Order: sequence, then C-alpha cells, then structure tokens
Amino acid sequence: MRCSLFVCLIIGALFSYGAGVDPSNFKTCEQSSFCRRSRKVQSSGSKYALIRGTLNTYSDSLTADLINKENHHQFTLKLEALVGNTFRLQIDEKQPLRQRYRVEHALKGKPETTRISVQESDELTITAGTSKAVIHGDPFRIDFYEHDVHVVSVNAKNWLYFEHLRQKAQTPPEPAEGNDQAHQQQDHQDNSEEVQPASEPIDDPGAWEENFKSHHDSKPYGPQAVALDFSFPAAEILFGIPEHADSFQLKSTSGTDPYRLYNLDVFEYVVDSKMALYGSVPVLYAHGPKRTAGVYWQNAAETWVDIYTTETNVVSSLVNFVSGSRKSTPPVAHFISESGIVDAFIMLGPQPLDAFKQYAALTGTHELPQAFALAYHQSRWNYNDERDVTSVSAKFDEFNMPMDTMWLDIEYTDGKRYFTWDKFKFPEPLTMIKNLTELGRHLVIIIDPHIKRDNAYFFHQDCTENGYYVKTREGNDYEGWCWPGSASYPDFFNPVVRDYYASQYDLSKFKTVSKDVMIWNDMNEPSVFNGPEVTAPKDLVHYGNWEHRDVHNLYGHMHLMGTFAGLKQRDPQQRPFILTRAHFAGSQRYAAIWTGDNLADWTHLQHSIKMCLTEAVAGFSFCGADVGGFFGNPDSELLERWYQTGAFLPFFRAHAHIDTKRREPWLFPERTRAVIKSALLTRYSYLPLWYTSFYELEQTGAPVIRPLLTHYPADKEAFAIDSQLLVQHRLLVRPVMQQGVSKVDVYFPAIDDKKNGDYWYDVDTFQRHERAGYESIPVTDDKIPVFQRGGSIVPKKERQRRSSKLMLNDPYTLVICLDRQGKAAGTLFLDDEKSYAYRNGESIYVNYEFANNQLTNRFITKPLYKSDAWIERIIIAGLGYVPIDATITAKGISQKLEIEQRSNGAIVVRKPAVKMNLDFALKLNAA
Amino acid sequence: MQQKFLQLLLIALFVYALTGVQGIDVPRPRGVSLVKAPLYQPQPDGKWNCIDGSKTIPFTQINDDYCDCADGSDEPGTAACSNGQFHCLNTGHQSVDIPSSQVQDGICDCCDGSDELEESQCENTCVALGAAAAIQRRNEAELHMKGAEKRQEMINRGKQLKADRSARRSELNARIKEQELLKTEKEHLKATAEALESEAVEAFKEQQRELDAVTAQAEQEPQQMRQEASLTFVRYDTNKDGFVEITELMVDMNLDRDRNGVVTVEEAKYFLDERDRMDLDAFITLAWPRIKPLKMLADGLFQPPVPTPAEERAPQQDNTKDAEQLDSEPTEEHADMDVPDEEDGEDEEQYDDEEPDVGVGEATPDVETTTAAPIYDPETQRLIEQANEARNAYEEVARQIREIEHEIKELDEQEGKDYGPNEEWSVLDGECYTFEDREYVYTLCPFDRVSQKPRNGGAETTLGRWDQWVGEGANKYSKQKYAQGAACWNGPQRSAIINIKCALEPRITSVSEPNRCEYYYEFETPAACDRDAFTASAQSQHDEL
Repeated sequence: MRCSLFVCLIIGALFSYGAGVDPSNFKTCEQSSFCRRSRKVQSSGSKYALIRGTLNTYSDSLTADLINKENHHQFTLKLEALVGNTFRLQIDEKQPLRQRYRVEHALKGKPETTRISVQESDELTITAGTSKAVIHGDPFRIDFYEHDVHVVSVNAKNWLYFEHLRQKAQTPPEPAEGNDQAHQQQDHQDNSEEVQPASEPIDDPGAWEENFKSHHDSKPYGPQAVALDFSFPAAEILFGIPEHADSFQLKSTSGTDPYRLYNLDVFEYVVDSKMALYGSVPVLYAHGPKRTAGVYWQNAAETWVDIYTTETNVVSSLVNFVSGSRKSTPPVAHFISESGIVDAFIMLGPQPLDAFKQYAALTGTHELPQAFALAYHQSRWNYNDERDVTSVSAKFDEFNMPMDTMWLDIEYTDGKRYFTWDKFKFPEPLTMIKNLTELGRHLVIIIDPHIKRDNAYFFHQDCTENGYYVKTREGNDYEGWCWPGSASYPDFFNPVVRDYYASQYDLSKFKTVSKDVMIWNDMNEPSVFNGPEVTAPKDLVHYGNWEHRDVHNLYGHMHLMGTFAGLKQRDPQQRPFILTRAHFAGSQRYAAIWTGDNLADWTHLQHSIKMCLTEAVAGFSFCGADVGGFFGNPDSELLERWYQTGAFLPFFRAHAHIDTKRREPWLFPERTRAVIKSALLTRYSYLPLWYTSFYELEQTGAPVIRPLLTHYPADKEAFAIDSQLLVQHRLLVRPVMQQGVSKVDVYFPAIDDKKNGDYWYDVDTFQRHERAGYESIPVTDDKIPVFQRGGSIVPKKERQRRSSKLMLNDPYTLVICLDRQGKAAGTLFLDDEKSYAYRNGESIYVNYEFANNQLTNRFITKPLYKSDAWIERIIIAGLGYVPIDATITAKGISQKLEIEQRSNGAIVVRKPAVKMNLDFALKLNAA
Repeated sequence: MQQKFLQLLLIALFVYALTGVQGIDVPRPRGVSLVKAPLYQPQPDGKWNCIDGSKTIPFTQINDDYCDCADGSDEPGTAACSNGQFHCLNTGHQSVDIPSSQVQDGICDCCDGSDELEESQCENTCVALGAAAAIQRRNEAELHMKGAEKRQEMINRGKQLKADRSARRSELNARIKEQELLKTEKEHLKATAEALESEAVEAFKEQQRELDAVTAQAEQEPQQMRQEASLTFVRYDTNKDGFVEITELMVDMNLDRDRNGVVTVEEAKYFLDERDRMDLDAFITLAWPRIKPLKMLADGLFQPPVPTPAEERAPQQDNTKDAEQLDSEPTEEHADMDVPDEEDGEDEEQYDDEEPDVGVGEATPDVETTTAAPIYDPETQRLIEQANEARNAYEEVARQIREIEHEIKELDEQEGKDYGPNEEWSVLDGECYTFEDREYVYTLCPFDRVSQKPRNGGAETTLGRWDQWVGEGANKYSKQKYAQGAACWNGPQRSAIINIKCALEPRITSVSEPNRCEYYYEFETPAACDRDAFTASAQSQHDEL
C-alpha cells in the first residue's frame, strides 16, 4: 500500500475498522456543561420580564429592557420587522462585561426591514403587513401571528436562559446557604460583585473549566450560554437543523440527547442518530396542514436543540379525532448555545415554499452552477497518478458512458502540502488537465485548510511570518495533527488571511493548474486528529480576540469565503465550483455539499435522500452523497441502486475510500454496467431540468429538491415521507433503496381532503397514476420509479455525449404531461453554461404552455443568448387521442409536422426544429 | 449475427463485381461503411426500411438529424440516435466505427476528420498515422522474430534443465539410500559411545550435585524474561516472518515515547537498537529491555517518578482501562496515560534517562554469568570426547540426508511448476529482477516471490509468492499471479499480477498499485516472444480491415 506510513498509522490508529463510530468519543449533553445547565431550566422554568418604561419604538423596530427576576441581571431586547413576513429578535446583555459574539458573514447582506405599527395596552402589539407580534411583559413571551393565525411563540415555556458574563469568584462558591439572603440585598445593577442565587451556573463544576476525555477547556470567560424555546401552535411536525443522519421529520428528544449542531469530523457515522456531523445549519421549520413557519437561530457556537412533539401515530390521531381536540400540545424546539447572543429570525410562511424562500432571502442561495457541476463526477481516494486519471477518463469513452469531472483526493499533493503536486506521480499536471478539458471534462482537486508545519513550505512560512494562524490562549500558533502530520490552521476570520488565501489560487501563483480546475474543501470543521472530539480546542483565539468557542461552526464557512474569492479573482468570467464538507447557514452561497464519509450499505443509501431533503430546505439544494458509499465495498445491486438514486440528487458523485476495491462501472459484470450506464444517461437527459431548477433557485430561493409537503401541505400522510422527493414541482422520484425488491410502494400525494391527487406519469412508459395514496410499482434492475406531474412540462436533452459541455448545442426534447384540464406549463433556462454573461441578460428564459391542443412559448426575459440548439421533439402524454399531424408556425411560416405514437397513448411531434430563441405556436390537428 | 455479417459481405462483393467500381466510391449516406452501403438503397417508392425492419420511413429522412429507427440505423452520419454507429473510413489507416455520441461534437475522433461536418476543423492525420502504425507493426514483427530466437535458446535450456532435474532426481534417490544405511551404522556407534560417557559423567556429577543446585535457581529468572519477551515478539510479528519490523512496532502506541499521538519511525527504531528488524534472539537481548518498562507502564505495574503538579491535573484515571483503549484510539491516549503532560518536557527527559536501567539488569546475566563447563577428570574427559566424535559423525550423516531431502523437495516443487508448454519459462526460475521508483525497490523472482523494499532502507515486504498463470484463454502465459504476501494494515494480504510482454532483454518496466495492496508489474522477456502467435494476430487484425 502506498499511503505514507504516517497516514496509515493515523487512520489505523485513530479508529478501529468496521465497527462504525464510537459515540463515546463525542460529548453527550450531560457531558457538556452549558447544555446540562440550560436543559435543567426545562424543569424549573425561568423568570424574565420586560422592564416597564424602557420601550423605544422606531419605524421598523422596537427595543426594550428585559430583566431576569431571579438575579436581576438586565438585557436589551430588539424586535425588528423584515420584508417578507419575518421578524428578527435579538437579546443581549445590557452591559456585558465583555462584548458577546454576534455572527457575521452568514446573512447574504443586511436584511431589508419594513414598517411597523405598535399598539400598547397590557401587551405590546407590533404589526407589519399581514404579520403581527404580541409581546407579553411578565412573564416575558412573544406570540407571532400570520393573518391572525397564531403560528409561533417565543418563550411560551419560560425556557429562556441567558448566562451573563461575570468575574470568576476568587474562592470556590460556598454551598447554597445564605444565598437567598444575599439575593434579597442584591442591587441588580451591580454586576461585578454579584453573589449568585442557588440555581446559578457557577455551581456547575464545568462553569469555569471543563474536561472531556484527555482534553482540558480553560473557559477563561466562564459560563455564557444562551437558550430559548419556540412553540408552534399551528404545526404538527418539525424539520430542519441539518446536518444529522436522521429522518426528515425531527424526532422528539424527550428521553434522548438533543440534536447537536457542532461541526465535527465523525468517522463512520451511524444513521438514525442525533449526533453532530460536519455541518450546522440552525434553521428549523414547523409545519401543519394550514401553516408553515420557521426559526433561524443565528448562533455559531456549539448548539443543542431539544424537540418536543407529540409523535403522531394512529392511536393519538384516533384519540384526537374522538375527543374532538385537534391536538394536545404544540411542538416545541429549545435552542441551546454555548455563547453569543439570542439572534432569532422568525419566518411566518404561511406556506412551506414561502418559509423556504424567506430563509433564502436571509442567507442566500447557491448561484447558478456551471452545467458540468450538475453532471456526473468520478472520484476516488485516490487516482494514483497521471496515467491512472487518463486511463479512467478513456475507459468512460471506451464504454460509451458520459462523465464530466475527475477528482483528485489528497494524494496528488507533495506530502499534503496544498497548492503543490507530487512531482513523481503528477509530473505534467497541465498536460493531464488539458487532456481532460479537450474532451469537455473538468478536474477538481482537494485543498484542505490544515497547513503542514514544514519550514520549507512557502505557505507555512508566510503564515508563520505574518501571524496568519489560529492562536492558542497563550498567543502561540496552534498545532494540531491532520493528514500532513503536525499542522496549523489559517485564521480565515481575518480578512487579510482570506485575501492571502484567495491570492494563492491565482494562476500566477498556482501555476500547475488551469482556470478550469475547481476545488474541493474538505476537513474544514476543522478536523484535528488529536483535538477534543477530533476538532479544535474551544479556547483557541481568532481574529478580533474571539474564542474558537464563539465561532466554531463558522470556520468552514470562512474557509469557503476565501476559496470562493480566490476562484472569482482567478477568473472573473467563470462561475466557481467548490465542494465543502463543513457548512453553516449561508455557506450555500459558495459551495455544494455532500454528506461526508458514508458507508456502502443500504441504510446509508436511504439516508442520502433524507439528509439532502433536510439540507435543501435549509438552503443547500446542491447536495449529494458519495455514490457507492465511501467506506466498504458495495455489491453490484447496491451500486446499481446507488447510481439510480444519485442520478436524482443534485450533486452526483461517485467516491470511495482508499482501502476499498476499485469500483469504476466497467469493473462490474455487463448487466451492472448496463444499469449504471442507463442511470448516467438518465441523469444527462434531465440536465436541462436541473439547470433550469438551479437558475430558479438563484432567482427565487425555491429549493431544487423538495419534500412532498412543499406542494401538498394539507396531506398529513405525506408530511414525514422521506424516501421520495420532488424535483421542483415537476418530477416525483422514489428510487429503489432496498435490497432484492421487485416492487416499491410509491406515495402519490393528495391535493385535498377527498384524496384527489395530481396526475403522475411514469417517465419511462407514460402510464398515468390518477389517485392519491400508496401504489405498488413493479421494478426491474434498471427501473428508477420517476413520475412527471400532470400539468408540467420538462425540458430534456436525449442525445448522448461524452460530457455535458459537448451537449451545449444539442437539441431539446420537451415532455408535456397534461393535467385534468388538458393543460401543462414549464420553464426552460439556457445560456453558455459557464460564465456570468447571464447576469447581463445573455440567456434564454422561456415558459412553455400547453392548452387547447396548442403549445406556445413566452419569453420571461428577452432571449439575448445566441444558441445553436433547437427543439428536436415534443412528447405529449395524457392527450386522449392521436392527432393526425401538427402545424408549427414561427416567423410567419407554417409547416406540417408528423406525429408518432408512444406507449400508453403518448404521442411525439416529430422535429419541430425551431430555434430556442424564436417565438412559435404549435397546434395539434385532430382527425 | 455472424451469418448476417457474412451475407452483407457477400452483397458488398457482389456490388463490387457488378459495378466494377474501383476503390471506395460507392455512393452511400454519410457514416456508412462500404460493407453496409447496399443496405442504404431507396425502394422504388422512395421509402426505406430501418435495418431492423421496425419501421419504414422516406429515404430522405436518412441522416436528417432526427432519430426514426429504434436501432439507430437511419442516422449513421449524425448524433441523433444514441445507439448509432458512425463509420470512419480513415483512408490510409485503419477504418473504425465510433459511437454516434462522438459525431459532430467539436472533437475530431476519426483521423480523416469525417465525424465533424466542417472537416476543415480537423486535420487529416490518417496517412501519417497509417505509416506510423506500419512501422510499429514492422518493428514488432522484427522484435518477435529476434525474440523468438532467444526464446528458442530458452526452450532448449529449459528442456535441458528438465532433463538435468530428472537425472539429478535419480541420482539423489540412489544417494539417499546409501546415506540411510550409513546413518544406521553411525547411530549404533554413537549409542555405544554415549553409554560409556553417560556412566562416567554420572559419577562425576554425583560430586558436583550441590553446586548444581545453586546454579539452577540462577537460571530461572532469565528464563521467565525470555518467555515474556518471546510472547511479545510473537504479538508484534504480525506478518509472521520471524522478524519484528519497524512498521510492526509502530502499531503499539505504548511505544509513543514523546506522546505526540504517533509512533514515529525514529521511535520504533530506538527500540530495535537502530536496526530495521530483529529476530527473536536479538529482540530478547536488545529490544525487550527497552520495551518492557513501557509495557509495565501501560499495564500500570510501573510508576515512573511523576512530578506532583501533573498528578493534580489529571485526577481521575484508570490505568487498566486506558491501556485497553490504546489500541483503538491512540490519539486520545497520550494525556490519558498516567504520565506528565507535554509541557513538562524536563521531567520527561529525566524519565527517559532512567528508562534503560529498568530492564537491562535482567537481560545482562545471560552474557556475563554463563556457567563455564566443569573440569572433568582425564578419563571422563576422554570418554566425553569419544562420544562427541560419534555424535558429530552421526550428525554429519543426518545433515547430509536432510540436505538431500531438501534438494529432492525443491526438485519436486520445480517439477510441479508450470514452465510453459515448451519449458521456455524454466530458466527464469532462480533469477531475480528489480525495478526502482522514487520510494521503493521492487523485486520479481519469477516462480518464487515478488517483494518491495523502501529505498531509504527498511525492511523488505513480501508482495506475494508464486501462485499461477492467470492470462485469459489462449494468452494464459501472458500474466502471472503472486499471492499470499504480507498482510496489509487492516487490509487483505498483498498480491501481485505480472503482465508479460516480448522484448529482447528481460526487465521490469513499471510497477503500480491500482488497488490498495494489489500490485501490477509490467515485465518483459524473450520468453514471451512468439513469432507464430504474433503473425496470427496480425493476420486476424488485417482481416478485420
């Protein structure tokens, strides 16, 4: 084996193979002192109240002071109304001993505010458009209404818990006796010499220092947790707060640990778990048949989220039905963070897509990717050398399978020194890259944030000399262990460091790549092999003198900002492509994500959809899982099904661990090869739909892949379904994700109480499914159960090429599936698939509409992009008759077109041959 | 299928004959080969049948950039049908069919550029390529011709070797019979001499009894140490080659002396007395005294002098548990261990200095207190010497028998190996070839083993032992497999495939590791040169044209 001895040792030594993660390597809530303390409040409750006479009202916001009636510490509250049915609530200490961290760079900009009107009576009522917030003074609580329906409450459970900063006591705290007395004498404005009441956090042995395993956390600023509860009276289920390998619907944490948000490199993670993973996106949605709302808890410190829901089951719904009560208690989410302030965005929907868009309006979306990024990616740890890369690429051609991008994992570098190449294995990288790009292919290389501590390495020299590394508490450069051995970590929070980092991507510095080479940022949680929980110690110090504790979940995000800036500076004309493992709210503006180091097993395949659906509603539509599973060796069947599933997730990449057997498609028997090829061709044929969807994501914030409830919000049976996904509102996908099955149950969602559903057409056979509910669909090896919604038009490209770039000028196929009224509509976006010219209008964005036996187009924007593409064929399903021919009229010239028949009554209009930028009308002629 | 092809061929020849057209100017749609041209004729009504007969379309719809036929036959010259084929005529070079997906995509795939409509964008490189290919073929033919001569020599030598082996086998059979007789005789002489010796020595020993009792006890302690050390040795020697190597020691996080989370090569070497590997004896005397204190430390049996502040910092520790965890989670271990923290470097050094004293004292007696042989009275001494002579004589015969048996075994093994139909591979058995890349020296000893050794020193790793020929079908003798090499870290046993080509001189041209722990050698030797086979394959290639 060729991996360096060191790496082998680290891998081998860190973890024992095959057993999966050892949960004891990671903290439980009970082992984390702030979580333990904050959670305790759930039994006792807290006592916060508004201080009368401190209210200040502004045009778009109000402020008031808040007091903890137990320790008399004072806080400032700010409630701001934002455009789009959203409120922002911020609570900070009125006079903190030291400034508390406020998250930066997560929002895409300063949110636009809107006017409010305030009515003061017993309560304060703040109205903004159709939404309203009612603040109750004592006990403090805020109720939010959308069109007068109560959808969210803040602090309804009185679980608000805010540990103010304090001086460390000189001596260990006395036992509780005498504290009550002291409490009574306490002047609440006297912060510094305050004596603590019995329940104060200072009692907790972990308040001022904490140990986990062998690691010590010095905690120089003591306890500083913030926690708050949110109730959702109009909701039945909660979802969101990725990243967890768990169901789409959040489960009650009563009796278990809370969901944890703390970016961690978890080796061989297990599914059905609330453990933290690589990314943390603290946005949560609450959904009921009539209303959807959301909360974005903007905090980058370690966060735990308790969920309380009455899990709906047959019995409980029967009880509710009989008793007439709609439900017992509303679902509750309790956010608990280690430091920072309360900064919560309350998004009031009212519908799921509204809430998703409200979140996108705050944190942004991925910009339109280059088309190749949506095509198929071939990766492995590692393609060993130039010959290996070249031969894998050639094999795809030999077997006539499309492939767009080859990936290089860490072994291409010179000893894990990023921005360098192993000169022996890759003596001529530019030639190798050129060989790929000449076939329209791309190369993606990995660049991790850890920097090898080697005095001869320029990057290390620069960072050392200029003080660019993250510091220890004592002010030295922090040293951890990662792939290169001893490594340090650039402090990307420092704008100067980001600039330096970005400049390294410039081709004048990084001369051994071309501007078509894109980047994979891995290990950016950050992963530290010998650190606490395999990450950085919390008492490290970042730019601005913030502790790592305050900013941990943002580290990867800041890394991405550097990379994104670097790629844009390198080539301002080209849209960057970055893949990241760590992510936070807003990281979707810079990078795609994947679900990390999964396992070649069926449950992980199933979780790829669950996890990506959750990520998609949390802003990360550009999500996928390692096809085949990172660890382990998939058998033929699992690999086939994984390709089929991956073909319908936005990011489609096969990847494998260095210890696994090679698994390029041609290494499998002919039968498997054929199934994989078919899945690849299916993916490529739908690229125009994926591309259009991503354009519309950028325009509107609507996720590309969506849970059923997005468009079927009243269908309770659909709420928790996470084995199916919608691609926009056009396709319903239910891949086969079980071993050895000959049929799968597909749920067709209902549009009303009477079990009416949309029409769904099998995309292979055009067989129509008309009723809502479960239906058993027979499947063969090469069947992917995918259905197109009646009423939609899907653009496709059905010609095969070696790579997506070579398809640019290929003609389109429009697939029209008719609804009950015989109508359908759908958009198509096209441009050069690479540059930013579309932002100057060089694009074609068109809506196709079919009604009254006629297809017409309407350009949504002026069609300024010059395309050689044209419409090759139009497939119409659900027509109910066979026209004798069709007439197309464009530029005043009419022409007859032939009609061919397909299965289940679908027809094909042969070769309209109209260019994409032309207006036309196409009429079917009945006999 | 084949039949259909033949039919087509006949039709083509027929058309040839009928039209008398010279060369290739049969009118046919773009992308259609000469052979298939007759299939692209319009019917009198201007219609045309898809080749699979599935549909009838107007002849004008052939190559109209729309796929009408399920078999793709109507679009031989465009990319409209995904399952279609485009025929590159490639005059001057070899004609090929390329998939329709490569037609008109901006990339010149045919050397004549015919796959792209604007042929001007593609340079016609067929003549040059054809000439180069012809030269290549000529060179290869020449190589095989010359190589075949060398191969013939190898065959001759191989056959000679086989005959020699057979002759030698008969000779050894005879010799072993002689020696067996001799052995019986010597055994008898030995028994007699030993009886006398034993009697005399017993008498002498009677006097020495008391002294012996004292020495016996002294021996016991080293014995126990030896046992412990041997057990540890066996545990370390994961590849069971009778040596403990650096890499094998690096697994044991107990040996992480500077507690940085990893056992470095330097650290491991320290325990091996700066060597790359050690056999059991060396291990017992040199390595074990250094390792033992750390083992004891890990087992909680040994407490080095620990400065008090460190004890305060890590109050709750459970040594036994920590020691158990070491194997699985060494990164966590270093502070778990009951030793000072990194900051306490001074104390650590102090501890290091003391380290050798702990165990060495137990190992040294082996060398220094070896009891000298007692001094016998002259008569006893004489009998002992006689007995020794008899023993030596017997041993000598036994040794010779073992040698013969060993040689017979080797011969039998060789006889069992497949040296090819003409014994042409036989001469390679016993040879070794090496190949160096940046990090390693790779060795191939055909029919024996393949191995890898780091260039900067270090232990050799066996990548595989001779297994079998694994070439496919008629090319059985083009690939060898070596299996059952040293086990990989958490992985399978190493193995190697040797791909063999014809050349005049034997050498390894490259070594790679396409799969983890699966090696791939490219090896050249005249034994693979086969004029007849080459001519046959060249002929069949030519026929395809």
